[in-house]
Amino acid sequence: MNGPPPIAVRGLRKVFRQTTTGQSVIAIDRLDLTIAPREVVAIVGQTGCGKSTFFDLMIGLDAPTEGTIRIGTKSPHTDFDYFRGKIATVFQQDRLLPWRSALDNAKLPLELIGLSESEQRERALSWLKRLGLGAFTNAYPHELSGGMRQRVAIARAFVVQPDILLADEAFGHLDEVTAAELRETFLALARECGSTAILITHQLEEAIGVGDRIVVFGGSAKLLADIRVAGWPKSKYALLREAIQSTLQSNKRDPRLTNFRSSPRKRGSRKRSTSGH
Amino acid sequence: MPHEELHGSIPASYPALTFPRQTLVSLLVFAVVWEVMSHLAPVLGIPPFAIPSLLRIAKSIATITPIDIVVTLARVIGALIASFVLGLVLAMAMYRSEPLEKYLHPMIRILMAVPVVSWILFAVLWFPGVEFRIGFVLVVVCGPVFLVDTLDAMRGVSRELRHMMQSFRPTTWQFFRKLMLPAVVPTIFTSWKVNISLAIRVVTIAELVGAVTGIGHQLSVAQELFSVADVFAWTIVLVALLFLLEAIVAQIEARLLRWRP
Repeated sequence: MNGPPPIAVRGLRKVFRQTTTGQSVIAIDRLDLTIAPREVVAIVGQTGCGKSTFFDLMIGLDAPTEGTIRIGTKSPHTDFDYFRGKIATVFQQDRLLPWRSALDNAKLPLELIGLSESEQRERALSWLKRLGLGAFTNAYPHELSGGMRQRVAIARAFVVQPDILLADEAFGHLDEVTAAELRETFLALARECGSTAILITHQLEEAIGVGDRIVVFGGSAKLLADIRVAGWPKSKYALLREAIQSTLQSNKRDPRLTNFRSSPRKRGSRKRSTSGH
Repeated sequence: MPHEELHGSIPASYPALTFPRQTLVSLLVFAVVWEVMSHLAPVLGIPPFAIPSLLRIAKSIATITPIDIVVTLARVIGALIASFVLGLVLAMAMYRSEPLEKYLHPMIRILMAVPVVSWILFAVLWFPGVEFRIGFVLVVVCGPVFLVDTLDAMRGVSRELRHMMQSFRPTTWQFFRKLMLPAVVPTIFTSWKVNISLAIRVVTIAELVGAVTGIGHQLSVAQELFSVADVFAWTIVLVALLFLLEAIVAQIEARLLRWRP
């Protein structure tokens, strides 16, 4: 099986023109970022720093003003259809279709890529069972709890076994216990599927708990820090959290992030270090 | 029980073809008053034919020709289906294309402002065939209602759901079939209910003016014969038809929208 292609963001710039004032707002200003295949990257930043704009550009729903995003050799915007079934998303709210049962919601992406009805059903059922929803496949969204609905949304994302998984504040609205449980599940499934995962979050705990890397955005998505979490021992997580917090507040890279010299480790060592979470 | 609670207990979609006791009582009271008035008419100086007895009305109902009911019903259903398909297709096209929407929207507003009688006169002057005239009038009156309601409902589909669906990269047809059309189904049913009532009234006027079959034509005949009993009988048929069609739509609605909490 071929792995997911690398992601290369080069000189990415996105400028919006405000309809009321006519003024230009720079949402993303010349961002460069490279994401390796199968990497789990958490992007943190304060509200309005351009995280969601970056998310939309990564999905391909919006076009950059300047610069490029390449997934392998293709652009998610100009080669939009090419990525059908290759990019999947989980949003802050579950965004389930209220007229569809859990099963029908989960198989939606499979319908779009044109799998046979029996295969759609089989794969969606399998993912719902893996996410502990085997007994609720015929339930409508309003009959499920918030956590269960988000599980269906996760099943909907994984059902196509995508190359790239994008999650925008996917666990932020859930209670801490449910959120932690779903983060673990999400991470385990992403690793198992071999997907590259990009999680947008404003929660540092979530970023540290999930990401191989933490990318810290300042205003206009200025890259303030790019941290390999695997290089930090678990005993230093409190320091890491403080340093990121300080970076976000001052909009400048905290020296503790630079001064900490981590010994590079191979990917996978992190999996062991987080297994006890 | 407080008044507000009573209101709150009324179901959102009132089941059709159910007759609560109050409805039966009010109908009964109306029938008794009518019957008394029909007997008192000569004393009050009203011509006897103006308020026929219930028995006379019943006799008129017994002589009703089913073929006229079938013809009117076919015209209404055929025109409603044509109006719905046309309205839906145009709404989808206008949703997809902003320039098309900008050009067509003023035209639709003008069409909706034209009185029904003007459309009937245009139809009589423009088209030779009776069926085409009636169909034209019904479609031109009901089509814009379907179009405007559907387009508004499509615009009302939440940005979150549209964004989610687009992130999975559907084709245009999949986008409409999997998201937009199911999302606007509740509005489409409301539109159907409004249009059934509208179509029944419009078809009656159209048949009254220019047809030789159908309930409207029979009403015209009854008027020429000064038969209030016949007018009453055909009016009862029209009201019953309206209730029947509404009941059918309500049944389909309940079935298709069973996902609603």
